[in-house]
Amino acid sequence: MKRPVAVVGVGQTQHASRRSDLSIPGLVREAVDRALADAGLDYGDIDAVVMGKAPDQLEGVMQPEQFLAGALGAHLKPLIRVHTAGSVGASTALAAVTHVASGLFDRVLTVAWEKQSEGNAMWALSPNLPFTPPLVAGAGGFFAPYCRAYMARTGCPPHIGPMVAANARANGGRNEYAHLREPMTVEDVLQSPVLWDPIRYLETCPSSDGACALVVASEEQAKKGPRKPAWVKAGYSYAEAMWVPGRDQVSPQAGRLCAQKVYEKAGIKDPWKEIQTVEMYVPFAWFEPMWLENLGFCDTGEGWKIVERGEQKMGAHLPVNPSGGVLCTNPIGASGMLRLGEAALQVMGRAGEHQVEGVHNALGHAYGGGAQYFAIWLVSDAL
Amino acid sequence: MAKLRNVAVVAFSQAPIVARDEHRIASEILYPEVRSALDQCDVERAAIDYQVAGSADYIDGRPFGFVAALDVMGSWPAKQDLHLEMDAAFAAYYAWVRMQAGDCDTALVCGYGKNSEGEPERVLNLELDPYYQAPLGLGPSATAALQASAYMARTGATDRDLAEVAARNRAAGAKNPCAQLREAVPAGTLAATPWVVEPLRRGYLPPYGDSAVCLVLAAEGKAERMCDRPAWIHGVDQRIEMQTLGARDLSRSAGAQLAAEKALAMAGLGSGREVDVVEFCATTPAEELILREALGIEAGDSAVVNPSGGPLCGHPLMMTGLIRLGEAFRQLSGRAGAHAVPNVGRAIAHAAQGHCLQQNLFFVLGRERRWT
Amino acid sequence: MSEPPKEPVKYVEANVRLPYHYVAGDYRARYLRALKDKKILGSKCSKTGKVFVPPLVASPESFAPAEDLVEVADRGVMTTFCIVRIPVIGRNVELPYVAASVALDGADISIFALIQECKPEDVRMGMRVEAVWKPDGERQGDHEDILYFRPTGEPDVPPASFLNRL
Repeated sequence: MKRPVAVVGVGQTQHASRRSDLSIPGLVREAVDRALADAGLDYGDIDAVVMGKAPDQLEGVMQPEQFLAGALGAHLKPLIRVHTAGSVGASTALAAVTHVASGLFDRVLTVAWEKQSEGNAMWALSPNLPFTPPLVAGAGGFFAPYCRAYMARTGCPPHIGPMVAANARANGGRNEYAHLREPMTVEDVLQSPVLWDPIRYLETCPSSDGACALVVASEEQAKKGPRKPAWVKAGYSYAEAMWVPGRDQVSPQAGRLCAQKVYEKAGIKDPWKEIQTVEMYVPFAWFEPMWLENLGFCDTGEGWKIVERGEQKMGAHLPVNPSGGVLCTNPIGASGMLRLGEAALQVMGRAGEHQVEGVHNALGHAYGGGAQYFAIWLVSDAL
Repeated sequence: MAKLRNVAVVAFSQAPIVARDEHRIASEILYPEVRSALDQCDVERAAIDYQVAGSADYIDGRPFGFVAALDVMGSWPAKQDLHLEMDAAFAAYYAWVRMQAGDCDTALVCGYGKNSEGEPERVLNLELDPYYQAPLGLGPSATAALQASAYMARTGATDRDLAEVAARNRAAGAKNPCAQLREAVPAGTLAATPWVVEPLRRGYLPPYGDSAVCLVLAAEGKAERMCDRPAWIHGVDQRIEMQTLGARDLSRSAGAQLAAEKALAMAGLGSGREVDVVEFCATTPAEELILREALGIEAGDSAVVNPSGGPLCGHPLMMTGLIRLGEAFRQLSGRAGAHAVPNVGRAIAHAAQGHCLQQNLFFVLGRERRWT
Repeated sequence: MSEPPKEPVKYVEANVRLPYHYVAGDYRARYLRALKDKKILGSKCSKTGKVFVPPLVASPESFAPAEDLVEVADRGVMTTFCIVRIPVIGRNVELPYVAASVALDGADISIFALIQECKPEDVRMGMRVEAVWKPDGERQGDHEDILYFRPTGEPDVPPASFLNRL
């Protein structure tokens, strides 16, 4: 990065299974208006717009950034649209950071969203590849075998997933914007039906309508206030091929490399010690221990033990997903940006009821595809 | 004007555009172009530190269609990567921005997608807002016709004028082995083709075809080692306008005009006339006339427009704009073969997407570095 | 002209119907046609010799072309699996069923396959499985020529030999 970049505004919608009170532009504006207000800026102050979302088949509109250009205040401005599957919200935020880092733009609006209630999400997420037998419905069917492989590799016991899910829901209860906020117990989860063994219904993410918007800006702009910014110390997005023999789908190389690069750039030597909270993309509860390992917070095989000891709960050593994460809210296109935005809120000290104490460094993470795309940033309260 | 990092196009490879590739899926068409582009600059895949692509799920006919391209782009070990749901020219734009940020020195830019598998005329209707415009059933031919009609009403341009623009493009395309339509057709013949949506005749509309392209960008310090005659980027700008067809003056392209102005200013040029070649991403003759006006070049000017034949000779959709950049590179680096324009010192490459030239991107390029 | 609505219009319904005619590509087409003869083909990396099933035009690992087609066995090891309890669009399979990654003997990547003739609770990672083909005369040269995979009864394969072929 040629020059420092900061998050100066964060906005998100009230996430829900169906926002039938708003059209698509209305949904996006709810988040954008909030982010701009948060940043103390107006549409006219924005130099460029970077929009991201997941497959257009989810809403039945191709390249919707085109019809949204007016609503986004992008008329006669530069705009790009990112799409990197589930990680898109995060890679979109990172592309916006690059715009500012380049020196060519001082204030960039970035927004990621999904209004998937308006299409058929299950259909859109089932891999209907031509000349290939259809085998599983939904993303869970694809990932379940790898969750099972994690359990086999590490001896992870069957109550870990339910512990993650119950904890995520407790966190969601402290996040006014989350979709799912009702508490549930480990027992509730264990009683819920198995969808794709070993994944149970209450260990899966919901399908949500929602949007997240950020304003990222130059140092000069960030120092003008009105709020304490979150400095983007490092951010990278990586992708790996699918059909590589021996590819580790439990702890993908792209995730490990991406995290290592972020830590190196940000000067983090020991993530477990130096990072106070992490918002990671956990759509199925079993990914929490898997990502703790993939992100280098612990050695291989130790991730589930962190969960068992409760060290990733609020108030413990490394609160994971204080916002409730994807398990509480999943507008697919927005989820990645929500992770990065929530990490920013944590270092800005503005996470309200789900604020973690004493956050200096927060990690935001998202993944997508057949666990191929990873986008991660580290934000700090100091430059 | 601040001093920027010199970045050049150092390689470009394109699968000849065909109406329908019966033998290969999209990623299989892309693979040889990636290899060929790397061979052109005589480097291994590992030497490229960034990759970015452009394609669209609705063209691929399935969600996440672009993921398959990772496997043929050399994404192992894992690479820093991005994918845009846009014409791959915008992927090149983003790679250039990234180089300005100092976050990469070389980039592989890919465009792919098989338009023959779907029906673009129907698919592109979905680009329109789903509440008011898409339900009217407008496809790209209809909206382009609205724009052509508006342009003709304002300027008095005639059917014959459109035919002549189309004929010039077709004649140029006849010399381009990568074009889909490689037969010169006289204006009179084109003007006798049936109406598709008046005032646009069959002969004034682009053929949708299959192709894949790979372009390599490199910053100063690397570019010189990768290409004997790099095409240096002197200026870049892109602008989107609001989509609502009734809310803008369709007879002009305000966005193209602004983007051209900014790109030219960055390049230190006073006007679009100061270049030798212009490649417009104009899918109809009316679009070309509107873009000429936006760029400030007139029929009599010396700049040669669309020596490749332009989109009227081949329109593989999600990469048509990137091909314009590739063609500008070919002209500047002496690699344009039979369709080469002599003594090209400066060129402009334009990309557009969305109905009625809604979004426009201009690159200004030259034989020498812009900033020293 | 009907009466204007008393309530503001809240929903706009749009049915999107788009026809797509896909080309299998020569590699996939040859793979499918070979199924008619109970043959499973893969492509071989020209640099490393690794075999990809179904055939890929290039190795995603080495980036080298993989132009030679070779035959692999119609049996192999189940590297991992899940038990599916929700129906999938486009297929009539009795629930619950087992969907598994199967590394065929001779192949270096796995295919995703349906497992039958086995109770879901008896399925294990490392189980040897074999293809069950449609009878002679009924095979068409498409992916339905393999009905499913079933356990062979051979001893399980130790984890070390398949955990890297997920």
